[in-house]
Amino acid sequence: MAAEKHKAENTTAGAKDELAQASARPAAQAAQRASASEGDGGRLTLENVSARYGTFRAVKDVTLAVRPKSVTALIGPSGCGKSTLIRTINRMHETLPGATVSGSIALDGVDLYSSDVDPVRARRVVGMVFQKPNPFPTMSISENVSSGLRLTGGASKSEIAGIVEDSLRRAALWDEVKDKLNQPGTSLSGGQQQRLCIARTIAVKPRVVLMDEPCSALDPVATLKIEELIRDLAAEYTIVIVTHNMQQASRVSDETAFFSMDDDRAGYLVETGPTAEMFTNPKQALTEGYIQGRFG
Amino acid sequence: MSMPEASIAKLLTQPTSGERARQRTNRVMRVLVGVAAFLAILPLVALILFVLLKAVPFLVPSFFFNNPLDQEPGILNAIVGSLQLSGLTVLISGPIGIAGGVYLSEFASPRVVAIGETAIDVMLGVPSIVAGVVAYLILVPVLGFSGWAAVAALSILTLPIMMRSTQEVLRLVPQAIREASLALGVPVWKTALYVSVRTALPGILTGVILAFSRALGETAPLLMTARGTNAENWLDFSTTMNAMPIVIYQYSNAASDLLIGQAWATALILMVIALTINVLVRGRTVNSRTA
Repeated sequence: MAAEKHKAENTTAGAKDELAQASARPAAQAAQRASASEGDGGRLTLENVSARYGTFRAVKDVTLAVRPKSVTALIGPSGCGKSTLIRTINRMHETLPGATVSGSIALDGVDLYSSDVDPVRARRVVGMVFQKPNPFPTMSISENVSSGLRLTGGASKSEIAGIVEDSLRRAALWDEVKDKLNQPGTSLSGGQQQRLCIARTIAVKPRVVLMDEPCSALDPVATLKIEELIRDLAAEYTIVIVTHNMQQASRVSDETAFFSMDDDRAGYLVETGPTAEMFTNPKQALTEGYIQGRFG
Repeated sequence: MSMPEASIAKLLTQPTSGERARQRTNRVMRVLVGVAAFLAILPLVALILFVLLKAVPFLVPSFFFNNPLDQEPGILNAIVGSLQLSGLTVLISGPIGIAGGVYLSEFASPRVVAIGETAIDVMLGVPSIVAGVVAYLILVPVLGFSGWAAVAALSILTLPIMMRSTQEVLRLVPQAIREASLALGVPVWKTALYVSVRTALPGILTGVILAFSRALGETAPLLMTARGTNAENWLDFSTTMNAMPIVIYQYSNAASDLLIGQAWATALILMVIALTINVLVRGRTVNSRTA
């Protein structure tokens, strides 16, 4: 029951509402969610986004639209700012000393960088899966999944068990761990740990899930599982994935954005389009060269 | 075709004169270093044996369970006093030191960290007699010779230890774990408390135990503050207290074989406690690494 409820909330509540109500109480939140319109949520619009580390500009003037409930892959050679860009979307970039962002990133029309959006709240709406699986070492499997809810006060105790099961099912991990939920999260294999991290991310009900090379530390079998999972998740979440693996981009993504690096080492967006088109008939010679393996 | 193989065999098996010289140097150095290591351990072993031999005849029940003025004198009040002084020291300086370490590791800007670390280095370098003299000249005139003055002096010494150890173990918590928490929308202070500190907790507690051990062995500040007493004192920090280092210092000057023997015996007990704590801490650290 709890699992179904979780799902229902997930699809009805709009990211707009979630961001706008800065300090609403849980009851009021639920009411607002119930009245929110169906199918609203998850369109990302990046406009002239630049990201700097101190004075060094790592990302330059990126303008990119990401369709709701689709998978967008960011590809390009090493050092072209893909990871930096993805970390600006959930406002993680600014947590590093000296790191700044300019331009605007809007989720369903709400600028994530406007002064009345708390970065902590933005991160609840825009979840993130990291390159290396990073489960909390002191927590069990089930505590890892519920960590976000417990630490943000996003769910009552009675709801948590249901949400844990539901999140693990969505992350295609439930059958493998249902008998050992109290064992440490770090006891799982690398691929399972990464799915655990995905479960942990979707447990807090984000609208957007960012993935920063989620398979680069995994073997091919585990990679395949994560890729299938990404396709499944795209039914409910807007997914932006950074990948070095072009086959992976062609397998999992609907849209592909190709990045390159300028002479001043700043990353910029070369072109973007439907994945099939990008891989068969790119407009730019640079994209074609990269995709055919001539550089990068 | 067989020529190169033959020369490879020669190359591998026949040492040149330079290599022979290197092997000789190797042997000589190994012996020298071995002798140095033996010389370093010798005084330690001698010290332990000496203390053991001198102390064992005096380790009778009355030594542990009687007070100095009893028919058969003992050092119960000093054991009780040492544990109370060190315990309260850790209770007072522990929370402050841990909070300071957490602040430096999780919240402070790089500039504040640099200032804070310098301050810790300076505090770590404060000789215990200096802490004692400050307590003696500033606190004793107000509070009198007392447990409070002793705890204040000891806290000055243990505070930087706890700050440093907390900061060091928090530094070992991978940044990826903090990012995982922040990316879930967990506020910074909750990430610091429930993720960073929680992960580093065994190491932080180890620091507390080491600080306790340090406080237990301090002598100079106690002589100038708690001063020692023959009475048993339970939790009255406003008056003089006895402590094991004070007993060792005072009894070793005594004109009585019994008291000199008890000084040895007290020294043995302090050593055993310190050793036990070290072994416990080592066990903890090994456990938390393998877990």
